[in-house]
Amino acid sequence: MTQPLPTSLVRALSDAVGPSHVITDPNRLLVYESDGLTAYRLRPRAVVLPATTEEVAEVVRLLHAEEVPVVPRGAGTGLSGGALSLGGGVIVGTARMSRILDIDVENRLARVQPGVINARLTEAARPHGLYYAPDPSSQSTCTLGGNVAENSGGPHCLKYGVTSRYVTGLRVVLAGGRLAWLGGAGREVDGALDLTGLFVGSEGCFGIATEIELRLLPVAQGVRTLLGIFDTMEAAGHAVTAIIGSGLMPAAVEIVDAATIRAVEASVFAAGYPPDAAAALVIEFDGTEAGLDADADRAEACCRAAGARDVRRAQEEAQRAALWKGRKKAFGAMGRIAPDLLVQDATVPRTKLPEVLAHITEIGARYDLEIANVFHAGDGNLHPNILFDRQDADELARVESASREIMRLCVDAGGTITGEHGVGIDKRGYMTLVHGPDELATMAAVKAVLDPRGLFNPGKMLPDPEEVAV
Amino acid sequence: MTLTASLTRVMPPGAVAADRESGAWAWLGAVPEAVVRPRSTAEVASVLSWASAQGMGVVPVGSGRHALADRVDAPFVVLSTERMTGIQAYEPADLTFTALAGTTLRELDGVLAAHAQWIPVDPPRRPERTLGGLAAAGLSGPLWMGYGEIRNHVLGMTLVRGDGQVLRLGGGVVKNVAGFDLLKPVVGSRGTLGVVTSVCMRTFPVPATDRVLALRAERTSALVPAARAVCTAPVLPVSVVLLAPAPPRAAGAALVVRLHGAADTVAADQASLEEHAGVSFDRVEPTRADALLAAVRDHGAQAPVVLRMSVLPSRLSEALAAIEAVGGPGGEGTPLVHVDAYAGRVRVGLPAKGTDVAGIAASLRATAETLGGALGVERRPAGLPLDGAATAPSDDERALGLGLRRVFDPEGVLWHRHR
Repeated sequence: MTQPLPTSLVRALSDAVGPSHVITDPNRLLVYESDGLTAYRLRPRAVVLPATTEEVAEVVRLLHAEEVPVVPRGAGTGLSGGALSLGGGVIVGTARMSRILDIDVENRLARVQPGVINARLTEAARPHGLYYAPDPSSQSTCTLGGNVAENSGGPHCLKYGVTSRYVTGLRVVLAGGRLAWLGGAGREVDGALDLTGLFVGSEGCFGIATEIELRLLPVAQGVRTLLGIFDTMEAAGHAVTAIIGSGLMPAAVEIVDAATIRAVEASVFAAGYPPDAAAALVIEFDGTEAGLDADADRAEACCRAAGARDVRRAQEEAQRAALWKGRKKAFGAMGRIAPDLLVQDATVPRTKLPEVLAHITEIGARYDLEIANVFHAGDGNLHPNILFDRQDADELARVESASREIMRLCVDAGGTITGEHGVGIDKRGYMTLVHGPDELATMAAVKAVLDPRGLFNPGKMLPDPEEVAV
Repeated sequence: MTLTASLTRVMPPGAVAADRESGAWAWLGAVPEAVVRPRSTAEVASVLSWASAQGMGVVPVGSGRHALADRVDAPFVVLSTERMTGIQAYEPADLTFTALAGTTLRELDGVLAAHAQWIPVDPPRRPERTLGGLAAAGLSGPLWMGYGEIRNHVLGMTLVRGDGQVLRLGGGVVKNVAGFDLLKPVVGSRGTLGVVTSVCMRTFPVPATDRVLALRAERTSALVPAARAVCTAPVLPVSVVLLAPAPPRAAGAALVVRLHGAADTVAADQASLEEHAGVSFDRVEPTRADALLAAVRDHGAQAPVVLRMSVLPSRLSEALAAIEAVGGPGGEGTPLVHVDAYAGRVRVGLPAKGTDVAGIAASLRATAETLGGALGVERRPAGLPLDGAATAPSDDERALGLGLRRVFDPEGVLWHRHR
């Protein structure tokens, strides 16, 4: 832990947000020492919890006036260490900014504070026949502000797209506490650049969004969910290619591999997948009731033609939940068979999935590591999960080496180092695998336009200049 | 040695032409020193490095046929990407392709159609648009309702900055959060951040059925309630356009709704929409649908003056009432109106002569801004500057935009934007 904050600054922050919302007690700070990526831990100097845009602006103004970095934090579910407090930064959390400000049914827009939980927005919109489409796995706990920072995805972004498609406007607090409006629905101005789109996915390095305007969609009339069981991963891959190639547009196409199936079936989350299966494929269609059975029939035919051992189908919510269970509980199940789990994230072109998966298996064998794969097969987004024990220094070193090899493998296959979890601190060192010095320098220059003194979330996203070999 | 002679020295033979007489560039308000047609990213980089060293302005164009409202005051060259054509990579099973910026949509459509794929955008004069121009202009057309905007379809690009530096932005996969998303501000920046030389985009399967529905009335105002009802129905059409005077006979107003999907699905969707809106649509015969859709897409876009009004969809009736009021009761001055009802975006085509364009623009701007929206100028004739007619960016948008332009174009050569 670094130096405590000067007393005068703590007092000023307390005046701004109320003394109970400025945390400096080391015991209470323990909660904030990491986010969902627990491999990195660092206790912050302080945590401040403002409740309004004006309070955020005042807190940022006070901290930046003293050259103290600000580290924005939502629910702390991020998986790339983005909310880790580096450089003596103070965490500014959005937990108290959890109000849905408006649901504009007529224009299908919602205006929310950043601390609103993702799933809560859909709950609030559903009585109006509307919902919020991006559905990261953590949607029952993650915040919309965090989703904006990470440009979050989710299983259903195959059909519906990621967060940036839904953000129409932002009120942001920039460096020094300056307030700005970016974008806004129904107002297209000549010569204005898409600053909203630039801000989404900036991982807290540009500022803090304090109000978010989001598009809502009408709730689909019906859903059909299929579960295909395969004896080889290759066959499952062929089924996915056939489904997409046939012109069908599934809402989600997810695969869990043999290692994941074994972990799930051995746990309390057992979903009834055959333990000897090599792959389980979850396919979902949504939309107008009239066409759904035909879509599901075609997808089932693709699975059977590719050699599926079994294809199950759900029409009711309870059956649907059962088919999804093995996919959704995969991470929890893995947590029971190893002390630590590294949830990796990378994207490759969909057609490269089979060969990349075979290589990942080979990497796991070479480093003597168990790697279980769960992935969004429809868009080539892989989550190789490496099981390990952090107390074992040798194993930890092998995890790091294997991760780097997997990243290089995905980049060489035409993919990228992160599809939805972000760069944060975890992937900074891999940025040079996908970007050259000119691209990184341009990103750094853009960051300097919004945050000239580098006081928002330092040490994240961009590698240190000396790491960028020319 | 003249400036353009020095440009000729850095470019291969035939790439630089003096085009002082054709009048093709009159909309820019000045005659270019030269028109450069590079064939590669490296050649584009040479032009921009040369321009940055000389302090020469550069106006990037795609096909060059879609005159914008922007103007240039200082000496400049036109940089056309029309010779940079061809699809570099296309993997149908991945639903992605990469093509050079000058490739037209007509050329691309032919290749994608062989695999029953397409890119779901429908801006005016779609076939002759270039991919680079499409991305630079950020045009999606009303199909964004069903498929998302073009900024969501562009996965990667090669961009040459104003100083000639070549950047590879984004990538070739549909999900990618590795780094700041520099693609977003570039898409729609109209050539002010750099010259797009290649684009990687996602494709979509061609829908099994493209059902086109129409509803007609004397005036647009009579169709607004139905348009709004369709836009708030539980099923989502892929586009909802309101237009007047309506094709094919340039009379009255029409609401044109498109549904994509399997035959059963679109039939059920039509029934839902009709029940929700309390109307009965005419189904346009498939043999006539393409011609009607082309007429709808281009409606008003080639008028001498094109204004764009944007408001929240719920404020459309007020916006349209203001447009009807300035247009008068028909005749020569009647505006051509095209409304993307789900976006709240209204294209207003006006004749240049016999109309007080500046007065109309001022009146529509006041209405748009009162409604919380904005007015833009998309097209204007050479002799009609219309300076100040459009809603200005906010101070924040202007300051941050200027900051970004200085990063991407340190010498300020692109459009002479921040000199």
